[in-house]
Amino acid sequence: MHPIFTNGKQMALYILGYLPIGAVLVIGFGHAGAWGTATAFFLPLTMLYGFLGMTAYYVCRAFPINQQYRIWRALPAQAMAAVTAGGFSVGIAWAWSAILESLNLNVQPKMYLDQPWTLFAVGVLLFGLAIAFHYALIASLESQRSESQILESKLLVREAELKALRAQLNPHFLFNSLNSVSALTTSDAASARHMCLLLADFLRDTLRLGSAQRISVQEEFAVLQRYLAIEQVRLGSRLSVQCVGSDQALQENIPALLLQPLVENAVVHGIAHRLEGGTVAIHAECRDSALIISIANPTDADRPRSQGSGLGLNLVRQRLQAHYGAAYLFEANEADGTYRVNIRVPLAAPDLQA
Amino acid sequence: MSETDPLSVIVVDDESPARGLVREYLANHADMRLVAECANGFEAVKAANAHKPDLIILDVQMPKLDGFEVLELLGAETRSVIFTTAHDSYALRAFNVHAVDYLLKPFSAERFAEALALARTRLRKSEPVPARELLETRRDGAALDRLLIRDRSNVHVIPIDQVDFVESQDDYVSIRAAQKSYLKEQAISDLEQQLPKTFVRIHRRFLLNISRLAKIELSEKESRIAILHDKTQLPISRSGYAKLRAVLDG
Repeated sequence: MHPIFTNGKQMALYILGYLPIGAVLVIGFGHAGAWGTATAFFLPLTMLYGFLGMTAYYVCRAFPINQQYRIWRALPAQAMAAVTAGGFSVGIAWAWSAILESLNLNVQPKMYLDQPWTLFAVGVLLFGLAIAFHYALIASLESQRSESQILESKLLVREAELKALRAQLNPHFLFNSLNSVSALTTSDAASARHMCLLLADFLRDTLRLGSAQRISVQEEFAVLQRYLAIEQVRLGSRLSVQCVGSDQALQENIPALLLQPLVENAVVHGIAHRLEGGTVAIHAECRDSALIISIANPTDADRPRSQGSGLGLNLVRQRLQAHYGAAYLFEANEADGTYRVNIRVPLAAPDLQA
Repeated sequence: MSETDPLSVIVVDDESPARGLVREYLANHADMRLVAECANGFEAVKAANAHKPDLIILDVQMPKLDGFEVLELLGAETRSVIFTTAHDSYALRAFNVHAVDYLLKPFSAERFAEALALARTRLRKSEPVPARELLETRRDGAALDRLLIRDRSNVHVIPIDQVDFVESQDDYVSIRAAQKSYLKEQAISDLEQQLPKTFVRIHRRFLLNISRLAKIELSEKESRIAILHDKTQLPISRSGYAKLRAVLDG
């Protein structure tokens, strides 16, 4: 579809653009005593020709001019198209004069048909103009598109980050934790204080690290351990934690708080559903020039995995996409009563944010 | 119950600090006696069976059985219940099952005392909560993903996809799953409405999980028989066959 067709206003502007060209032709061909005929003949004809000029768009699309294809490659095709258009313009002129004659408007357009080569030349010239116009149009559309693409991808990253941040501050986690603090205040004041400090540290982490920055796996693990320590106050001996990373893996950088929603899922949708509780196992290692992180938890055999966890997984996937493009692997599966999430990202990946 | 008898209370919460808080708040109310603390739904059903408490203070999100499922299992035995949860989204459901009150964690001693006052009023009037309503309002229209069956103080949890078929037996349904049969007090038409679309009422007395169907055989004079993968044979009624066709061809 021709881009001008998609918008009525643009279309009207484009056709109106032919008005001055028509005026030039009226002045060029008209003479004393025949201004009326020239106006009636050339003005509508150029407007009509405007539509023919629009076909240049398709020729320009078929033979683009850019770094790869030089102008000489498009020249023969464009010349042929222009010659054809010239022929057409003679035809259109002939048809239009016949219509004018039949309308009995007291004009004599026939005189212009006596100069078919002139009409032909004007047609070819105008088509050349249309070609130039369309190359400019395509170039401007393309630069607009690439600009909006860059903007869109930036927006996507921002949005994913914001959503991730919002998801981090799960209000139910906060309320449950505050309830624990409230309970412990009288029974175990020291524990209540400890819980307050853990909560404060965790909240500070999520607020500080919410942006698009990257932190080392070691730092991320520290955040996770604070989160899990808070959940351990609530769940007691039901929750145990295993958090292991190789020296190299711990030094690698990942998007901040990438793993936190996954660990929260492991607790809320995994351990919390089991009477006997279980271990959240977090592992990080480097293999085949990739950083591999896995998070595993036992599940309750009687309960299908709840829907709530899907949102968290999607957010993590979006963040990975935003940071690593297509160069990441993310999979979640359940087998033999264990739910496991695996992440694989390239080592020392270039930062798209930079 | 005389005015001076203490009210018996059980508290159900999977978090130890949360139970401790309720214990502490209850100590200020001389007319309340805490008879059991339960860390999950199974313990709650057992304790309710043993103590017949006047009031249950019940968390919603717990392992295996959530608060609403505990209430469903207890049915008419529940005299009054107060929910405690960090989620405000369950409030509507809580009032649908005639909860006395709904406490949002964390809650104050004053707010807790208000809830107890409401419970006292409810209990003095001693209107039992109709068990039917408990059963019928238990879900927000979503299909069940598991069946809960109470056998005295034991609770069986059966994932829906393990159920082969359900047979109606008077006021009960017999549920066949993993080579065992379980009895549940429920009408088959009630259960039919709660089950996912994979269950088809092939007969007045039978609901079949269609993934168990091996073949359909024609027996004498137009009546049909469903043969399951484990060779079990179930009758198919004429209208049952039409429903089955609609699902299988659908």
